[in-house]
Amino acid sequence: MESKKKRVIEPEQVKMVVAMFVVAAVAALLLGLTDIVTRAPIAEAEKEALHKALGQVLPPHANDPLEDMLTIKPDGSDTPKQFYPARDKAGNSVGMAWETIAPDGYSGTIRILMGVFPDGTVHAIRITSHRETPGLGDGIVHNSKWLGSFAGRTLDNVRWAVKKDGGEFDQFTGATITPRAVIKAVKQGLVLFRDNRDALLAPKEKVANDKAPAKDATGSSEKEATDE
Amino acid sequence: MSDTISRKEILADGLWHNNTIFAQLLGMCPLLGVTTSAENGFWMGVATVLVLTGSNLVVATVRGVIPVQVRIPAYITIIAAFVTIVDLGMNAWMHEMYLILGLFIPLIVVNCAILGRAEAFASKNSVTDSLVDAIAVGGGFTFALILLGGTRELFGQGELFGFAIFGADYPDFLLFILPPGAFIALGFILAGVNIINRRIKANAARKMAATRAATAAAAKGVTVTEGT
Repeated sequence: MESKKKRVIEPEQVKMVVAMFVVAAVAALLLGLTDIVTRAPIAEAEKEALHKALGQVLPPHANDPLEDMLTIKPDGSDTPKQFYPARDKAGNSVGMAWETIAPDGYSGTIRILMGVFPDGTVHAIRITSHRETPGLGDGIVHNSKWLGSFAGRTLDNVRWAVKKDGGEFDQFTGATITPRAVIKAVKQGLVLFRDNRDALLAPKEKVANDKAPAKDATGSSEKEATDE
Repeated sequence: MSDTISRKEILADGLWHNNTIFAQLLGMCPLLGVTTSAENGFWMGVATVLVLTGSNLVVATVRGVIPVQVRIPAYITIIAAFVTIVDLGMNAWMHEMYLILGLFIPLIVVNCAILGRAEAFASKNSVTDSLVDAIAVGGGFTFALILLGGTRELFGQGELFGFAIFGADYPDFLLFILPPGAFIALGFILAGVNIINRRIKANAARKMAATRAATAAAAKGVTVTEGT
């Protein structure tokens, strides 16, 4: 802008800036308040969802798997991973659940919560989040027959692939990629469990020795934020 | 136009004559994206009504205060604030539905129907009128979402609001669940709307002709039976 006069700030311009400032400030304030109000209920809802899913994938147990969560660094990995142990009244391990991730779904990542017996036999799996095509790939969520076909499987007693690939799991009409990704992820989850089984199933106080520096020896439950 | 419009007209306009979907074809993204079932459509509609009501109320309250040059960014800020509030609120208190609609709630920001109401109505009308308008337009939008969601659910899965209508043996008609089904179903719905609108117009024209004939006849002093 070139003008002969010195540059003058128009009152109109000031008004615009003030208006936008006020609108933005009020919006920010409202959002901050909403965040404060909703933070606890959101954490609660997520915890409850996880709780519910844990109840579905773990064998009957007496403890709160979420309270007893173990965080260990699996062999050959630097990222700590959360495991949810199921114990009976006497404190004996009756199962273990954890999340396994299939990065190669048809559209994005599929997160699977899987539960096994101490010997590594699958008890049940549930899909916790996915973006597969409704009506095709999302059968992994509500096709209970298909989900049920994982029960009783171990690393050795089944060929971990869809029938099309010479395995023993069904694919869906029009959707092979999704089940394939889930099967692969569950198999990897089982391998992970087998490789870390000793550390995971060790009585509480022993967990601390080699594999779990994050876990303190008293066995008091670790309450870490469950979000990624 | 806005000076003379009555509340009743605002309602009729928003719900039918000037329906966001049927007449204006705005807000297609959430419409086509989430309407795989009647329930999804319903909750998406509720979320939209909440945002629309909030933004209309605030925009009507601050009308005349916001300088005209910055009104669009100001409105968008207001709308975005409400969308985030609804997003957090749903995450906190309706977690399961939030997981289904998750992706589409933030997209309400770019539902041009909402900015359209702020710009075309709320910025020029009283707070109460804007409230009526928000409910009418939001209601019309919700109605369209449920209609399309219901149609797709009914033909795609043989269910309505999760209840089996055609019996348990209904073979899923995948096309209706998949995105192309949304376009096809919407096309038929729009055709239906056009037929209804034509009937309404024809009825009104016939009635008008009848009254005119009656008046003319009365003027001549001859009685005419209506509807011949």
